[in-house]
Amino acid sequence: MSLDIDSHIRHSTRHIGMPAPRREDRGPLTGRGRYVADIKIAGMLEVVFVRSVEAHARIISIDTSQASALEGVTAVFTGADLADVGAFPDYIEYIGPVEQRPLAEDKVRYVGAPYAVVVAVDRYTAEDAAALVAAGTVYEPLPTVADLDQALAPAAPRLYEHWESNCSFDVSPHKPEVDRAFDEADHAFTETYVSQRQTGLPLETRGVVADVADGTLTVWSSTQSPHMVRTTVASMLGVAEPQVRVLHPAIGGGFGTKTHIYPEDVVVPWVARRLDRPVRWIEDRLENLVASVHARDQRHDVEVAYDDDGTIRAVRCASMLDMGSGEIFMPGSAPVFVTNACITGGYDFPNMAARTVGVVTNKTPSGAYRGFGIPEGAFVMERIIDRVSRLTGTDRVESRRRMLLRPGQTPYVMHGGGRLDSGSHTESFERAVEMVEPALRLAEARYADDPDVRVGVGYCNYVEPTAPSYHLTTGHWGGGDAATVRVDPDGSVRVAAGVSAFGQGVETAAAQIAADALGVEPRDVTVVLGDTERTPYGLGSWGSRATMMLAGSVLLASQRLMDKARRIAAHMLEAAESDIVLTDGVFHVDGSGRPSVSWAEVGTAAWVRNVDLPDTMEAGLEASGYYHPENLQHQLDDEGRINAAASWSNGAHAGVLSVRVSTGEIKIEDYIVVHDCGTVINPALVEGQIHGGVAQGLAGAMYEHFQYDSDTANPRFASFMEYLAPTCAEVPPLSVEHFESPAPEQPLGVKGCGEGGTVGPPAVVAGAVSDALSEWGVDLTECPVTPVAVRAALRAAAAAAAAREKGGVA
Amino acid sequence: MTTSEPTSETDVEVTVNGRRHRHRAPSRLLLSDYIRDTVGLTGTHVGCEHGYCGACTVLVDGDAVRSCLMLAAQVSGAEIRTVEDLAPAGSDSLSPMQQAFHDNYALQCGFCTAGFLMTLESVDPSRYETPEQVVELLSGNLCRCTGYHNIVAAVTEAWNLSRRRGGSDYG
Repeated sequence: MSLDIDSHIRHSTRHIGMPAPRREDRGPLTGRGRYVADIKIAGMLEVVFVRSVEAHARIISIDTSQASALEGVTAVFTGADLADVGAFPDYIEYIGPVEQRPLAEDKVRYVGAPYAVVVAVDRYTAEDAAALVAAGTVYEPLPTVADLDQALAPAAPRLYEHWESNCSFDVSPHKPEVDRAFDEADHAFTETYVSQRQTGLPLETRGVVADVADGTLTVWSSTQSPHMVRTTVASMLGVAEPQVRVLHPAIGGGFGTKTHIYPEDVVVPWVARRLDRPVRWIEDRLENLVASVHARDQRHDVEVAYDDDGTIRAVRCASMLDMGSGEIFMPGSAPVFVTNACITGGYDFPNMAARTVGVVTNKTPSGAYRGFGIPEGAFVMERIIDRVSRLTGTDRVESRRRMLLRPGQTPYVMHGGGRLDSGSHTESFERAVEMVEPALRLAEARYADDPDVRVGVGYCNYVEPTAPSYHLTTGHWGGGDAATVRVDPDGSVRVAAGVSAFGQGVETAAAQIAADALGVEPRDVTVVLGDTERTPYGLGSWGSRATMMLAGSVLLASQRLMDKARRIAAHMLEAAESDIVLTDGVFHVDGSGRPSVSWAEVGTAAWVRNVDLPDTMEAGLEASGYYHPENLQHQLDDEGRINAAASWSNGAHAGVLSVRVSTGEIKIEDYIVVHDCGTVINPALVEGQIHGGVAQGLAGAMYEHFQYDSDTANPRFASFMEYLAPTCAEVPPLSVEHFESPAPEQPLGVKGCGEGGTVGPPAVVAGAVSDALSEWGVDLTECPVTPVAVRAALRAAAAAAAAREKGGVA
Repeated sequence: MTTSEPTSETDVEVTVNGRRHRHRAPSRLLLSDYIRDTVGLTGTHVGCEHGYCGACTVLVDGDAVRSCLMLAAQVSGAEIRTVEDLAPAGSDSLSPMQQAFHDNYALQCGFCTAGFLMTLESVDPSRYETPEQVVELLSGNLCRCTGYHNIVAAVTEAWNLSRRRGGSDYG
């Protein structure tokens, strides 16, 4: 695919595809970055939320008198005070309505649910007062449900009394061909796979600052989607949208957790309006662990039909999501749909019947986290392939080879309607195998003399839907985005877009795209994001959409701008428009360097020397472009199928791990990533996404796990001491290689790359450890794979072997 | 009116980045809050407030300290350095380590960066010979974006470790 954006632009340097240095670095490197917690407004008060310590209870009474009397406390509000505020909308028809109020009123459904808010002169005083409100709260505790089984038990206590059960949704496909395959297959087995509860854990917690001045409510929020926050906050508070401005300053990571619109996003602005004072709320880490969304927490009950030769004939999979209390907007239902849509990865495997179930429990609401359901599905599929390989004595690489999509097989429509437009499915896997084999031999040699160590290899092939529809997730919105591009009188370029940036390097990539689209240098481009007053309406950044949206919208706007600029230049040079070309930022007649006009001269004519414009031309040099991906669908078709992604990246991971049998200690000897996200705008930024994604994937594969007490649904974590985020001592160096299969329907061939890194590690780690311990029959079905889990698996395998032997003797 | 003991106050007299400060501060005020809110230097970030993530690391008399685990009252008389003091004063240039972070794409969201830089600033580079020693030094600082690879590569480059000890997996 050619990257010639415009045949009238003659570049001597091309910026797309180059590792341009990041323009976002100077602030944080020198301590001059500005995050939400750094905002200080004269007269600003501090807000602290009071949160439920019960997992399920009625609130009988809240005595705020002691807190209100504390010196330095300005106000204490409870849910009753917010009677004029609307509930969060329940837009999706097929999931149970939760009618979430910004502050819980008569009932709390998880530890951490906000039910009161304290406003004081400083954080310390506000926390003292919050403790007094907590002490003055009388609960009537209710029986709790801490997991799927408890929630679905016939006599289970219900979180929402008006529901028939704790089941929020249950969607099954009609697949008679799958039933036939089960009838015909040689064998079948059943298994349960589990992806444990985790979270994105940005190092900057959430935060909101709100201020009312000159009739405008300004909200600074650590959000990934400021326009959506504005629409929602304005509607819930009953304020006209133009009177609300939402912006995010620098954001210290999001990873999906900051795509949601939280109670604090509404309550903090409400407090600012009520008191007519600027107010600030900064989430602390304990709050972050219980009150920012969790994720994953899926169970997969599978039945697998297979033949003696190792062919997998069909799979039935009930994918069950533990949604926590479900009290979050946008609702946390979507990841499990993505799990099922993507579960067959890059394999040619139509015989999948995937049932999708969501269940509410007395835990923190679950929602978005990088990967967004993809890792859970890949884990199930890869574990199934390894199991069938083992049961039939088939080589694990060969099993995958047989099923992977081959060159020329795309576009390929998956079992659920996902349309794989392109990809290097076989090529990526073959390259990963090629890279992992010497690594495996090296590791085997390294431990040849240590009888306590076993070495194994694990694989994961996956697809990564990018720039998805938000309609499926939210019941509103769509999947396109806009950019406005302007050339000022001095020739400088300003790009404003509705996507957001929180560390990925989006501004750097946007400048590279605009530079090539307008034939200028990136340094001439100013990028404006994350401010509803200064950018066109957009959906923000999530689902690996930012670069793809920018590449579409900036290009479209730039092309409109170029058309006008060439007409102006033609007029100024008294030449035919069709003869005008742009070489290194200068317009001239093709084939002759002089005379010429610069972007600055064209910009000056457009804005300030209108006499230089053609008679009938409107002044100005600004254009907008709205990009909506060609094949992106927002609603299910008649057969319940949907292609909900603008394009599909793909990848193959492989890892060599060693296991110390006596202790269960696991070490990653080598980790290989072969990745394909189409046209790469900036390879250094893409590598950064992969490095960070794999680290988070390994965190889920080996360390991070939110555990709850099964009797009380109380969290068994309160700090980083219980929720084990990996340090540099845990994350190994990676070998990363790329393929480029451009998105055929995207103007630049761009696909997203944010999720992929997280997808492979759970399958790779469980696969490699199971391989290493295959002589004992260990076959892991859940993560995290900790030393304790390894030892338990070895004991269970030994017990099973002993039972078999005993049975055989009898 | 409820009164509570923690509102007692203490004189705090410190030097921060070469400038002397004198405040009457609440006795329970954390050093991190003192630096950020009282002195007004917000480059020091607070990531967990329980001493684990290392984002708030500053130098107190040359030692790396988690400023969320100290009280402002404890540092009276001390010299404090923060990330704002690393780049050469009065110029646009960066320190060699800051430059290496930039050149190696060693930061993404940047929230943890100050803590890494101050941890690195607290040690004598000549005592480090291998990237593995750097990993050990930095294993008290959490980064959620980069997967650490490029951070170790930046330090390897800034401290010339590959030249000292041959090749490396990093960089």
